[in-house]
Formats: sequence, C-alpha cells, structure tokens
Amino acid sequence: MKSRVFVNAAATIGHQPVFGVTGFVNELKPLQSGDELIQPSYRDYIDPMSLRRMSKILRMSLTSAKEALRQAAVEIPSGIIVGTGLGCLVETEKFLTNFLTLEGLIPPTAFILSTHNTIAGQISLSLNCHNYNITHTQNTVSFEIALVDGIMKLEEGEDNLLVGAADEHIPFLDRVASEWGYAGLRLTSGTSFFVLSSMSSSHTKAEIIDVEVIVNKVEHLDSSITRFLDRLGLKADDLDVVLESGWKGGSPADTKKQGFIEYSGFYPTASAFAFHYAVDYLQTVDGAKYVLVVNDLNPNNLGLVLLKSVEI
Amino acid sequence: MEGAVYVTGMGIVSAIGNGVDQNLYALLHKQSGIVDAKLGEKTVKVGRVPLSNEQIVAALGLGHQPISRTALLGMMAAREAWGANEHRSNLRTGFISATSVGGMDRTEVFYEDFLTETPADFAVLIYHDSGRSSEDIAQYLGINGWINTISTACSSGANAIMIGARMIQSGRLDRVLVGGTDALTRFTIHGFDSLMIYDRNWTRPFDNTRAGLNLGEGAAYLLLESAKSLEVTGSNPVGYVTGWGNSADAFHQTASSPEGKGAVLAMKQAMRRVSPSAISYINAHGTGTPNNDASESEALLTVFEGRVPPFSSTKAYTGHTLAAAGAIEAVFSLLAIREKTIWPNLNFSEAISKTALVPVIEPQKQEVTAVLSNSFGFGGNNSSLVFSPF
Repeated sequence: MKSRVFVNAAATIGHQPVFGVTGFVNELKPLQSGDELIQPSYRDYIDPMSLRRMSKILRMSLTSAKEALRQAAVEIPSGIIVGTGLGCLVETEKFLTNFLTLEGLIPPTAFILSTHNTIAGQISLSLNCHNYNITHTQNTVSFEIALVDGIMKLEEGEDNLLVGAADEHIPFLDRVASEWGYAGLRLTSGTSFFVLSSMSSSHTKAEIIDVEVIVNKVEHLDSSITRFLDRLGLKADDLDVVLESGWKGGSPADTKKQGFIEYSGFYPTASAFAFHYAVDYLQTVDGAKYVLVVNDLNPNNLGLVLLKSVEI
Repeated sequence: MEGAVYVTGMGIVSAIGNGVDQNLYALLHKQSGIVDAKLGEKTVKVGRVPLSNEQIVAALGLGHQPISRTALLGMMAAREAWGANEHRSNLRTGFISATSVGGMDRTEVFYEDFLTETPADFAVLIYHDSGRSSEDIAQYLGINGWINTISTACSSGANAIMIGARMIQSGRLDRVLVGGTDALTRFTIHGFDSLMIYDRNWTRPFDNTRAGLNLGEGAAYLLLESAKSLEVTGSNPVGYVTGWGNSADAFHQTASSPEGKGAVLAMKQAMRRVSPSAISYINAHGTGTPNNDASESEALLTVFEGRVPPFSSTKAYTGHTLAAAGAIEAVFSLLAIREKTIWPNLNFSEAISKTALVPVIEPQKQEVTAVLSNSFGFGGNNSSLVFSPF
C-alpha cells in the first residue's frame, strides 16, 4: 500500500456490549437464542423527528457513523464509504408487499428508503457532508471492498474517511435460510463504522497493513492465506489471533483461531464486527502485534485483512 | 502515458438496439426505443430491450438457470465490450459493475407467489442480491479476483467507471471492465410512479412542459486499460477517461437542491484537468423530471458561467436506465467523439422559462474534443465523467 492506514475510531451496534467501549475482547459472550441486539440511545445521536422516520438499519448506521466520528474528533469526513450485502431489506420488503397488494395510490416512502445508498445518503444529509459518497455491495465481501476504496482515497491524498458496513435482518431471511438447508443459522443485523486516516494520532487504535479480496476464485483457503502473508513478509507464527467466521461450527484445532459468528451472528458484512474485534484486541491486549481477519462466510469469496498494533 | 486510463472496448444493449452499431444507427436517425407496456391495468411508457430472456439465454449459449434479467443484459453488453480480448496471467483484470435492482425482476415474481401462497421456488432468490448479478456476468467472461458492485441508485454506472479508473491509477488493476446493468421491474416502475415523477406521456427532458421520466432497461460496459496493459494487448484506444467527480448534494433523500450544489461540485471535480472551454458536448443526466432538469440547468449555468456548451439528454431514446444510465451514456459520449457528432435531445419544443437553456435537437456534426457526462441519483449522489479523444 502507498499510504499508511490508521484506524482512528471504531463503533459497532450488534449483539455484544461494544458500542463506545474499548477493551471488550474478554467481555464477549457467545450468542444465545433469543438474545436481542444491544441498541444504544439513538436519541443521543439523531433528532427525534428524523429518528421516527428511520428504519432499523438507518438508525443503527447513522448512530455508529456519528459515534465513530465523535471518537476520532472528525466533524466532516472526506468521504463516506459503505459496504452492504443486502441493503435496506425492511423497506425493500415493505415496498414489494405494498405494490403487490395495495390497490390505488402506493405510498412512496418505502421505495425512497429501499435503495442501498440510502445509508450513505442519510449520513451525508445528517452531517451536511458534500464529499465522496459511495456504496459497495458485493455479497459477503462488501465491507472489505469498502475498506480498499477508503485506502485508495488515502493514497489519493484525502484524509479521515468514514468507512462502514451495514446489514439488517428480516424474518423472511430465516425462511429462506431454512428452505436453502441452513435452518438454525443465527441470522441477524449489525453495523460498524470506522475512521481511517493516513496519520496516527492520540485516537489511533490500530493500523491496517493490507486488505485482499478474492471473488469467484477461492481455490484453497489456507494457501490463499499463506500467499497473502508471504507477500507481506510474514508467517503464520507472527499472528497473535486469526479471526475466522467459524460458521460451520466446531472449535478450530489451532488455538490461535477464533470464530466471530458465534459473537456477532450471521449477516453479509459480519466481518466488520471481526475487524472491530481485531482493532480492540490490538489496542488493549499487552504484547499483541498482528491480527488477521479471515472472511470466509461464503466459500466462493474471500476477504483478508491484516491489522497491526500501534506503538503509543 | 503514465497514469492515463484508456478506453479500448465498448458494449451496449438498450431499448434502441443490441450492440454499438444498432445504438449508433438509432441515435443518428432519432429513433426512440420507448414503447407502451402493460403494468397491471395501467399502460406505461418504457424503454424495453426487445429481446426475451429466452432469446438472450440462447444468444449467450447459457443453460437454463433462473439468472436475473439484469445479469443477462449485463452479459450481452459485457461480452461485446470484452470482444476478442484474452485472459492473460500477467495482467490483473477486474470487473466493476453497477446495478440498482439486481435480481429484483425474479424476486418480485417469486414474492407475489409467496404472498399468495402459490408454490414458489426459493432457489430463485440466490440470484437476488446485486453482487450476485456481477459475479454471474464476470464468471460468464471468465473474470475473477476483483469483482465489485456499485449501488448508488441512478449515478451507479458513472461511479463504476470512476472507481475502475481509480483502480487503474492506483496500480491495483491493469485493465477493468466497467459499467452497469438494470432490468425493468415492477418494483422500480411502481416506485417512480408512487413518487409522481413517472410521465404517462413521452418523457421530455429539458422541456418547459416536462412531467417526469420514462424508465428503461439496458446495460453497457467499457474496457479500461493502463499503459502497461496496452503494451501487452496492443488494443486500439477509442478515447480516455480524463476526469471524474462524485459529490453528495446533502439536500434531500430524493430531490436535488434548487441550485444543484452537489452537481456543481461533481462537474468541477471531473473538469479539474480540462478547461470549461474544452468541453464540446455535455451528455446531461436530464431525466425529464421537473426537479432534476431545473436543478441540473442551474448547475450547468454555474459551472460554465452562463456559456453552456452544446448539450442534450439521451433519455428520451433509451428511457432512464437507472444504474445502467451512466454507462450507456458513457458509450454515447465516446460515440460522439468517434463519430464527431452530438446526439439530439428528443421531444423538446420549449425551453425551461427560468433558465432558457436549449439543448441540441438534431444530430450535429462537429469536432468533439471532450465530453462531460452527468449522472445524478437518489440520496443526492452526483457524479460526472469527462471523456476525451485518443
């Protein structure tokens, strides 16, 4: 990479008590059935009038985004980059149902809010931010692609990029999963936003060493990882923790390996939770140096993100 | 030239034709592809690609899978843009595609059955997500590794081209197929209808009596290459992508600000390396909605300080093809350069009274040095591209 990339803020809303918290890696508990999302007080971030009109994914995203900017003490980011696998499903399903069942005039609100870029658009509106605004959607690697875009922006000379991931659950997905033979998979929602900068500061939590995305060509997971580490001059022994989805269950034989789906639940951009976990681990665990996030949620697509601790 | 982004291939399928040649013929002969179609009890005007899914599947030599029409249209256009190029191990090749509906054309049929408790095939939903349609198109062409889908509503296609150009400049890719695809769906037709901006009559971009858009469908792709890639492939460039800009209007979720603030910023960014006087033609976003055309006109007057170059909207030919629009209009922009012709704005008769801007209304032969192409979307997402001759 042509620029150094520091993570200066991290905010996640999901099933773990991590929002606005540092040093949570030892506090995480595997998800139990019936566990609800842990939602912060949205009113602290969004005015009540706007809040009333926002679907789940919008209020979660905007609140995570604003918390990340608060942590990094950034008012206006030089870009807003969002990755989402399935976009605004609540509103999409609502509009589908409306035009298929209603006679006469159909209310437009659900249509307006159904497009994937509603999330990034609402953040720009709320911040009155006219800068770069983009939405990537690439299945399970949407977050990693958003990261690469953010890193390119840093290389192009911009600074303080807001990069995030968002996906929301609707009950219909459980039906689909069961029809596809994945009954019991814990499908849920989650949002994570980060501030990337080419400069470290007192806010800096970790550094991104590299990101790799492979779509439609994952031949062998372990050799893909070895090639990635080779290129960076590292060996598996150098890693403190390897976060893998672990969605197929069973505990990994390698003690360095840790599943993340058991904490976050399953959603297309769940690797953004793992990324936040890695950031927190590197910031708070003594002596930790490297954490690798392996996004193997989908066997055809692979995301690899290597993070490093920063000296303070 | 170091850092240059060359365009070496183009492919398109739209309501006015399958392939670059048919589209060019229709542009020159002022033949719109917009026709009447049934939507339940209503009749709406749409820019429909006159090929059934079965015909496309046969033309592409595919098996019978319920692939989305979005992906099928994309394959047609991407195959033409890719042409006779070969896969090479020494060139990193990517695919960046825009879509706003993805597999919704299949999903909405499924979901209607689902709601009425008619047996429905859940396997169809594998093709729903937007990323999947890009993966299907890329796989058809044998491209893998970097596949990226952009979804920023009506500016998506332009953004895919912009990101492709940036990927080449960053050195992450040597060549990349960029563009967009969207199929007509009841979802989007009902959507724009519910917003009261779907004209039941012919769409009339930049006309004082304009009353909304007609939707269309289609796909278009450009093959972008770096200088290094050109040395290997020996391709003949048709032009350059010389500038790009993206900016958020941050005004309203669907409406553009009256002065077109985001549009002004996007155009200015895209023209960083080109003086306004070098722009020979502007392919405007020009959707035919009262709000867009008024706002875009104001933005054009601001950027060009009152001296707006020849401009037109080609949406009365193709309909508004949403995420494909920026890519389809990129092909039209490059054709303007290649053919030394500015494309007319159909269905225009009377200028907007406040701004008094008159678009080009007949094919106009002239030297074309640089073209500015605008694409603006929901969420205030504004993008502009500049193309110039090789």
